[in-house]
Amino acid sequence: MGIEALFAAIIELFSHNGSLYLLAGVLLGLCFGVIPGLGGTTALALLIPVTYNMSALDAMYLSGGVMGATAFGGSITAILLNTPGTAPNAATTFDGYPLAKQGKAGLAIGASAAASAMGGVIGLFTLLLFIPFAKQVVLSFGPSEFFLLTVLGLAAIAVSVRGKLLRGLIAGCLGLMFAFVGSDSITGTLRFTLDTDYLWDGIPLVPTLTGMFAIAQMIELSLKGGAVVNDDTALSQKISGVGEGILSVFKHWPVLLRGSVIGTIIGAIPGLGGTVASFLAYSSTAQTDRDPDSFGKGNIKGVIAPEAANNAKDGGSLIPTVAFGIPGSAETALFLAILVLHGLDPGPTILMYHEKEIYGLIVALTASAIGASLIGIALSRFLVLITRIDVSIIVPVVICISLTGVYVLDGRMFDVLLTMFMGILGYLMIRFDYPRLTLVIALVLAPTAETSLHQIQMISDNNALGFMLGRPVSIVLIAAIILTFLMPYSRKYFTKSNQAKAS
Amino acid sequence: MNIAHKLAITALGTIMATAALADFPMDKDITFVIPYKPGGGFDTIVRTFEPALEAALGGASVVPENIDGASGNRGGQTVFRADPDGYTIGIYNVPGVTISKVTNRDIGYDLDQVTWIANLAEDRYAVAVKSDSSITSLAELCALGRPIKLSDTGLDSTSSIASVIGFKIMDCPVSLITGYGGSNDTMIAVMRGEVDATLKPIGSLSKYVESGDLRIIATLSDEEILAGVPTTTELGFPDLAKFTINRVIGAPPGVPADIVVKLAEALRNAQGDENVKSWAKKAKTDLTFKDAAQTAEMMNNLSEFYANYKEMLVTK
Repeated sequence: MGIEALFAAIIELFSHNGSLYLLAGVLLGLCFGVIPGLGGTTALALLIPVTYNMSALDAMYLSGGVMGATAFGGSITAILLNTPGTAPNAATTFDGYPLAKQGKAGLAIGASAAASAMGGVIGLFTLLLFIPFAKQVVLSFGPSEFFLLTVLGLAAIAVSVRGKLLRGLIAGCLGLMFAFVGSDSITGTLRFTLDTDYLWDGIPLVPTLTGMFAIAQMIELSLKGGAVVNDDTALSQKISGVGEGILSVFKHWPVLLRGSVIGTIIGAIPGLGGTVASFLAYSSTAQTDRDPDSFGKGNIKGVIAPEAANNAKDGGSLIPTVAFGIPGSAETALFLAILVLHGLDPGPTILMYHEKEIYGLIVALTASAIGASLIGIALSRFLVLITRIDVSIIVPVVICISLTGVYVLDGRMFDVLLTMFMGILGYLMIRFDYPRLTLVIALVLAPTAETSLHQIQMISDNNALGFMLGRPVSIVLIAAIILTFLMPYSRKYFTKSNQAKAS
Repeated sequence: MNIAHKLAITALGTIMATAALADFPMDKDITFVIPYKPGGGFDTIVRTFEPALEAALGGASVVPENIDGASGNRGGQTVFRADPDGYTIGIYNVPGVTISKVTNRDIGYDLDQVTWIANLAEDRYAVAVKSDSSITSLAELCALGRPIKLSDTGLDSTSSIASVIGFKIMDCPVSLITGYGGSNDTMIAVMRGEVDATLKPIGSLSKYVESGDLRIIATLSDEEILAGVPTTTELGFPDLAKFTINRVIGAPPGVPADIVVKLAEALRNAQGDENVKSWAKKAKTDLTFKDAAQTAEMMNNLSEFYANYKEMLVTK
């Protein structure tokens, strides 16, 4: 059934206006991706009323186009300006920006484009494989597994900041503290809301991230002056290198595969999303690499892993959707909202009644991931020039656009103020060398960690550990957490024994 | 300024005011505030009604606007602060706001001053268990010999309040497992088997009943809604049928009476629309219409009903 429906959806896409809507979605997604503060969720939320008069299938093509393209769009800003265009691209800045500074932005963009496209394709193929067992997959992930996954994420943070462990922990704890603001999801108690109902729902992620990365980076750039690439040797390099970047993805196929698998799994967990997926892909790649110290200084693998994960997560986030009609990410939640508006009722029977729309979306997502990358590659020659523009032009433009983006999201002036606050905090963190992504990841993980631990306590009548040990998936996750902590030690041990052998 | 002048100005003012009123609702777009994100129950009903409402208002333009945040209070505040000219209306989370009022929780505006326009629909609750569970009735559920675990989103959600009070009335101890992301997640928790049952609107449960994942063991209603499923009233607990979810429409304080009537009439007519009717049938929603006066009365009754359980609400 699956394959026929898939082919039918592909034919359907090219039979009438479908591909036009898809292209419109891709272009829109790229723009929203490139602009810091705006992302796929904003684009989809703004598109909802537009799709009202379209057929459900055309609406799927449009939204699939947007969803598939934002991830790659965001990596362009991440690489060129050290400012993630969307939240999940934050991990791409680590190695993408150093590459751009070395004058190898073309290489990084090529790698990001190919990794995004391939990651998207792998993620969707994994989804197709999982569709028959989607229900079992979703039912085997409960509060216990959610909790352990967040612990795994926090463990990955702890070991990823090598050499800056204390600073990493301080930033992580600050993120956790921010996450406690707002009403407790279990008891409803209001915490640290400073008597303003703005903080009832907690500190929102997008303003925090936009401030931490976009605004902070603009403060940093404007204080430095000049252009992103000042180095004469870097300037004299040829602008392209895109082809080399594309090839590097196939050369490092294990990195691509690892990123895609991590992306698919994390995508399937509601509430975690792309930021965590790409960060975990990045840190696990850096951790297991032969030469972990080359990361953060312009290692192309550090671009491939998070970008592959970022696009693969869309496939993963559809697993709970096809199983029960529930969203796996903010984007799929909006996609379900679009279905509702078209009179379709998403639920556990979604694949039985709406197979056409679901496969339409899958095809649109795949085509969009590939299409966005092709467009990106074609434009990369011109995009790279951004790194040679004087920052006095770039800074005001980026600040205006990102603050407008934050405001558009919910129409709240407080969000803009928060973005500015986080911008200053983020700049201080750059200045005093504290890792910013650690803070953001902690902010993302904390609510899930807190809620699910609380839930396990209630479900198991305060025997949380016993409850977790009784579930097979949980045991696997516990083992993964222990391995994560052992990884740095085992590597030390192996390097030593290798050196011993050599001598 | 002489009296003739004053009179003339007053008369002119009156004429202009009447002229403006007579033009309602054609002057500008009517903003219909939804206090939650797109895609939820409140959003769906507003967007389902919207085309029919436009038609019933003679082609006026109605624009749904999602203003979410602060547990739905930000939308309510926005409506409250708008001009009372009928061009801003909103849907309210009832009985959620009523419970906030009873427990003196600050929602940022005075619920008693809201101009109530109409009640569009009423949803009923039911209790569901996993489809292969051995439990077949509420009595069996209560006889587990330990507090029953029920899944819910948050302690202040209306379904969890209905659960706490409802099962207390049946003298059946419960332990609420909260923190699930949405009502779908609470139902999946039942399927995973980490909780015994969940109390949710019939419309939400029926999708999972149809797919064979859940089974409904009782509906909180006076009359039989699902064939072969007992009602709580039949089981001897008539008070439980008072727990309903209402889709109530309101406006800022001080909207002129004639505009309220116009809006209420239009909403009543919109209920007759074929699309609205077929949606209601699918969502198992009861299109019970109440006009402005009836809605205000219902809101008062609800306050009194929940005030009876004030202690349980505060000590939750």
